[in-house]
Amino acid sequence: MSFKTIYEKKYKFLLIIPFILIVLAIIQIGVQTAVTGDFVNKGISLKGGSTITVEYDSSISVQTIESMLNEKFPLAEVSIRVLSSAGKTTAIAIDSDAQDNDEIDVLVKVVKSELNIKDDQYSVEVMGSSLGTSFFKQTVFALLIAFVLMGIVVFIYFRTLAPSLAVILAAFSDIVVTLAIFNLTGMKLSTAGIAAFLMLIGYSVDTDILLSTRVLKRKDGTVMERIYGAMKTGLTMSSTTISAVLVALLFVQSEVVKQIMLILFIGLLVDLIMTWIQNVGVLRIYLERKK
Amino acid sequence: MKQKLKGIFTNWKVILLLIFLIMSFITIKPQLFGVDGVTIRNVLPNSSAMDAGIENPSSNLHPLSRERILSINNKPVSSIEEYYASLASLLDNQTVRLETSEGFYSIQTRTGTDGIVDFGIKVSEAPTSNLQKGLDLEGGTRVLLKPSEAVSDDDLEITINNLKERLNVYGLGDIIVRAASDLSGDNFILIEIAGVTEQEVKDLLARQGKFEAMIGNDTVFFGGKKDITYVCRSADCSGIDPRVGCSPSGDGYGCRFFFSITLSSEAAERQAELTTPLTILSEDGGNYLSDDLVLFLDDVEVDRLRIGSELKGRATTNIQISGSGAGITQQEAVTNTLQNMKRLQTILITGSLPVKLDIVKMDTISPSLGKEFLNNILFVGLLVIIAVVTVVLIRYKNLKVVLPMVLTLLSEFVLILGFASLVRWNLDLAAIAGIIVVAGTGVDHLIVITDETLRGEEISDWKKRIKNAMFIVMGAYFTTLAGMLPLLWAGAGLLKGFALTTIAGISFGVLIARPAYAAIIEKLLKD
Repeated sequence: MSFKTIYEKKYKFLLIIPFILIVLAIIQIGVQTAVTGDFVNKGISLKGGSTITVEYDSSISVQTIESMLNEKFPLAEVSIRVLSSAGKTTAIAIDSDAQDNDEIDVLVKVVKSELNIKDDQYSVEVMGSSLGTSFFKQTVFALLIAFVLMGIVVFIYFRTLAPSLAVILAAFSDIVVTLAIFNLTGMKLSTAGIAAFLMLIGYSVDTDILLSTRVLKRKDGTVMERIYGAMKTGLTMSSTTISAVLVALLFVQSEVVKQIMLILFIGLLVDLIMTWIQNVGVLRIYLERKK
Repeated sequence: MKQKLKGIFTNWKVILLLIFLIMSFITIKPQLFGVDGVTIRNVLPNSSAMDAGIENPSSNLHPLSRERILSINNKPVSSIEEYYASLASLLDNQTVRLETSEGFYSIQTRTGTDGIVDFGIKVSEAPTSNLQKGLDLEGGTRVLLKPSEAVSDDDLEITINNLKERLNVYGLGDIIVRAASDLSGDNFILIEIAGVTEQEVKDLLARQGKFEAMIGNDTVFFGGKKDITYVCRSADCSGIDPRVGCSPSGDGYGCRFFFSITLSSEAAERQAELTTPLTILSEDGGNYLSDDLVLFLDDVEVDRLRIGSELKGRATTNIQISGSGAGITQQEAVTNTLQNMKRLQTILITGSLPVKLDIVKMDTISPSLGKEFLNNILFVGLLVIIAVVTVVLIRYKNLKVVLPMVLTLLSEFVLILGFASLVRWNLDLAAIAGIIVVAGTGVDHLIVITDETLRGEEISDWKKRIKNAMFIVMGAYFTTLAGMLPLLWAGAGLLKGFALTTIAGISFGVLIARPAYAAIIEKLLKD
């Protein structure tokens, strides 16, 4: 059987792929919550602490600084990350749990003298833990509200329950699976990362609305022809966005933008499955029952 | 072809887009040939520049409307380096002819406490457009303060004005101080200061600054305008105390500062009343009153002053305040002492904040890292456009489609930037993330429009095809809009810039640029 006949005939069976993905994702998120107490690895900007970013030059040895800092501040949680773009190291970031001005001043002084840098060559970002926590709670809440509002818009648009639910389900699955994959990368979520998940809702819904409109509101050709027509457009949309995101992911220096791009990249790939297997399957089952 | 072009440029959707593009260009005002001089960022108070009549730029001014220094003694200044090089060649107490974009000034140079001859002006590179770079790209300090208890709107406003005044005392005019709130109703104060900020400024922001001068258990006067009518900040009545100076103490050095203040008559009366019952003691060859005047800052004693016996029961309005500072070297001790003095002066001038503030977030972004960011983002933006053009070229293989698509996308960028400069929006990382979303949905929607119009030869009615396309585009628009709205209120406004840029950008795209694109390809592809 060719790929095309499987896609056309076995659409109900194919639904098992998104289903398994969602189950695995929920398991991952469950385990993550059980082990760490949070459903995602929160970065400094969401849990509080400080980050010192210093321009990289080849004379710096990351190991030496790390061991030096750990030696000088045995009580603080200090860790060092290397930031790179296009395979080249551009800066190093020193994360710590220090939030107090005095604590940070001491840390900055040591880093400054060890690395021999001037006043305008480093950045310090400090986030209080109470603000970080409330910010996280509120943006997650905003994400939920966004979801509900989006659902309402979709429902008003299509006026039928099953196809609207299919769009919402697709966006939901996309976010859950992307979150699980993001967790597996070991990266820590920042405020910008949450914004990326919100963007993902928008991108994910774009292709779903395209599909549903073509399949439900058009009369030309068979259902399968309309699905293929939508797919041609949808895949063009996804490939422009994915290629743009990939280029940015590889070349951008800013850590904030990089994380947005990574989440969008994962999410857009997951969205291909959620739109063209899950949403198509649900729509076809709905049309069959309607007959 | 001529007919087609005529058809395109007489279409009202295209004309509307062109009008908006022209308006955007006018507000952005890109200076393609560069701008002369360096822009005045801050004018320090009591400096020779301020005496000569140069004003601190207001943060409400568009970048290009700010005053620029063009030449010093007829020698043109075109970069920050040249400005400082010119300054270095000046002598103390020299009269200098300064040419700015507003006119000519003659300024007397002065030597500062740091031994450097200058006018008290801080400059930054001249902007090349009205686009305002945010802190992430320009470097600077962002502080988010949270009142430690619930405050009324009035108190919040008093606090904000007081903070602005404090920063003005430090000569920082180009600042943003505004209230922010979050979903749980907590209030915050956001402060953004561009450029490198001294540590002392940061220290000052979170201080409540409750100043009290007490004799025994009674308050003689508080900081602020009600009790203190004047605080001297010029060299003749403030500075390192010449009678005491600096001396070695402990591991390092200690110095004493002094400055004189003028009390209101009520405060002076209170002092007379409180000193009347005191007895006179004589010690160290002088006669003093039995109780000291004790100065408290935020409930911590900062200094204790003996009161001369001649002041007993007298309502003097002129008082000398003193204090101290220390450092490892003598130079460091002098600097720290002068900083302590300036802080105390600022607090005496502006008075106390109605509420104690906590720093909940503080970012200091290095200007050089910021500049690198900007260059990198522009480079990546170019690569992204190339990637997108390649994909649509492969898919459509038709310049009649791809060219208008790219032009539409670029005009969406111009519209967002035009809007940003119109409302004086700072382009920071959050705004850039928003532009990315807009560009992404932009390409998606243009592809939908193209496919809906190319497709379905069976629908011969072009109006119907475009209506079909816009149905999908509008659906996607409303869902994205719904997704962004909650962010306007969540989390102390930290993602507000992102949400606003996205909302403004997709609205311009969906309402102006994308319909114009539909009209253009309709005209180009229709036989």
